Amino acid sequence: MFSYLVRRLLLGLLTLVLITFVIFGLVRNMPGTPLTLALAEVDPSRRISEEDLKRMEKAYGLDKPWPEAYVKWLGNLAQLDLGRSISRKQPVTRLIAQRIGPTLLLSVSSIFLAYLLAVPMGFYSTVRSGKHDERAVSTVLYMLYAMPTYVAALFLLVLFAVRLQGTALELPLFGMVSDNYQDLSAAGRFWDVLKHMVLPVTCYTYASLAFYSRFVKSNMEEVIRQDYIRTARAKGVGPVRVIVHHAFRNTLIPFVTLVGLTLPALLSGSVILEQIFTWPGMGRLFFEAISERDYPTIMGLTLMFSVLVLLGQLLADILYAVVDPRVTYS
Amino acid sequence: MTESQQPDSPSPDRELALASRSFWAEAWRRFGRRKLAMGALVFVGLLALVAIFSPAIAGTKPIVCKYKGRLYFPAMAYFNPRWENEVFYRDKFRKRYPENLKEKDPDSWAIWPLVYQDPFRRVHAGEWEGQPGNPTGADGRPSRYNWLGTNQEGVDVFAQLVHGTRIALLVGFVSTGIAAAIGIALGALAGYLGGWVDMLLSRLIELVMCIPALVFILALIAILENPTIWHLMAVLGITGWTGIARLTRGEFIKLSKTEFVVAAQALGAGRFRIMFRHMLPNALAPVLVPISFGIASAILIESALSFLGFGAPPPNPSWGTLLNAGRSNLQMWWLIVFPGTAIFLTVLTYNLIGEGLQEATDPRLREAGK
Repeated sequence: MFSYLVRRLLLGLLTLVLITFVIFGLVRNMPGTPLTLALAEVDPSRRISEEDLKRMEKAYGLDKPWPEAYVKWLGNLAQLDLGRSISRKQPVTRLIAQRIGPTLLLSVSSIFLAYLLAVPMGFYSTVRSGKHDERAVSTVLYMLYAMPTYVAALFLLVLFAVRLQGTALELPLFGMVSDNYQDLSAAGRFWDVLKHMVLPVTCYTYASLAFYSRFVKSNMEEVIRQDYIRTARAKGVGPVRVIVHHAFRNTLIPFVTLVGLTLPALLSGSVILEQIFTWPGMGRLFFEAISERDYPTIMGLTLMFSVLVLLGQLLADILYAVVDPRVTYS
Repeated sequence: MTESQQPDSPSPDRELALASRSFWAEAWRRFGRRKLAMGALVFVGLLALVAIFSPAIAGTKPIVCKYKGRLYFPAMAYFNPRWENEVFYRDKFRKRYPENLKEKDPDSWAIWPLVYQDPFRRVHAGEWEGQPGNPTGADGRPSRYNWLGTNQEGVDVFAQLVHGTRIALLVGFVSTGIAAAIGIALGALAGYLGGWVDMLLSRLIELVMCIPALVFILALIAILENPTIWHLMAVLGITGWTGIARLTRGEFIKLSKTEFVVAAQALGAGRFRIMFRHMLPNALAPVLVPISFGIASAILIESALSFLGFGAPPPNPSWGTLLNAGRSNLQMWWLIVFPGTAIFLTVLTYNLIGEGLQEATDPRLREAGK
């Protein structure tokens, strides 16, 4: 197990270096630099001279060819320094720290909701399998699964923010807090954020809900045919206890590996959803960083996402060995 | 395909009973039993018809017209602007066919598209008999003349949706085609050759899989300074092949130990002949499943990119571009509901086909006799 872990970690490190190298090269070759893009926005009278531009390029290390800059970036990274954002004049780590809260708020509540709803729904579909009501529920879930989140987000916005405007069901159009957030009481603030969360969390949840409940159902259907379930029924165990205690416990193995694979999505946020709801999270930060050509921020976020993906895969494999004694990595 | 190339029959007795049926005929029969999957296939066929005949369904250029003694097909310009005969430039038609045809050649005749609306520009009053000019802004709700409404600038949504079908299908097929070509070639090489080739290619697959897809796509698109829809398809193809490669690799590893491959090797067939003539037809069925899902995700990503403003430049009647226009005008619900439903239905369709294929070709599920 230990040597397996070391091998996986070393391989992961190599993959990480390759990924960041590829992305660094791509990002540095995008047309425009953070300095010229920032200049294009300010009025022509405040345009800085060629010499100043050269000096600034030097200060940010933009004058060197990108492979050299990449080595420097790696060196800084080894000292746990992700650099400073060029367009925001702040350390990248602080930027990420600011944005991680809102993203976690959405992803954690939606994952919690999805699991909370998916497991009972999976039970329900197993018990009523093949009946008309189960077919109807499954069909709706399947269609939801095919519904792109940004389309759903826009549909919901049209309904709740525009059509129902002025009614009690109206929900805010964008952002995480209202303009008068600072003046609200503690309970008022909580209510305000909650109201802003409803639509984004719905969009985050419905697709994974469809996926998880199908996942639970397909695993349960395999287990429910096993002999030990028949034995349990034969000895007079109640139907609820059979489903929850005997069947579901045996479907936990694939479920656990799924948790490992959701790790990256937990922190990376969704670029499109955060963009639609103007949610100040990681996905939006990434989108802004790309349009501003803010190299250090893009690299910091890429590094974080890739580390999470690799860690998630490793975690899934390890958890697999933990919950299933038949799996060993020696 | 001959029977001799079907060594891995799932259950021998069943195969005996159906000896006259080939694997693909059997798979097709199973696929046909799933009503939803068949319905999805019919829907894709309909979409393809809409895409092919889009200039005949909605347009402002005649499908066929006789002008000064010669036949022309001006509607073909919607496929490629260069296919519009230059006689219409010389005679200064300025994209207004109905009045100019009558005025400049009284003997002319023309067959018009079903709906006189253009996906790229607003139709003005008096252009077409009995049809008022398109309304703009919030007045453009669905009406008799604009079935699905008009956008902020007064361009008909129905026409854009019809012509957008072409882009959606093209993106789906071309980018998945590129992804399939890369994925199958690399997966086959890795699976059959093994050794250091497999080692290298597997690392490459892992690497591309771990790069966050959106970072990769956005960065690649940003590098191309003026991306067209074709560049976009290439980028989607280059980033979307890993799943197919993995599956192909697995299938080839499995197949490389079977008798018919060993027989081919013993007969002295070359590596590439074995890989692509003997093994590929047998590995193709499972690979079709991720290809079908790949089409769905390519359409999804293209409209998402157009929606974010990173898609092909205008004029580009992509469904995502329409949605993007709706996002800044939420009270114009028709800009969101119709293209959104189109994207949703297309993605759903390809998912259903993928699932149908999976159940029709997966031997494990076939044994269950369902």
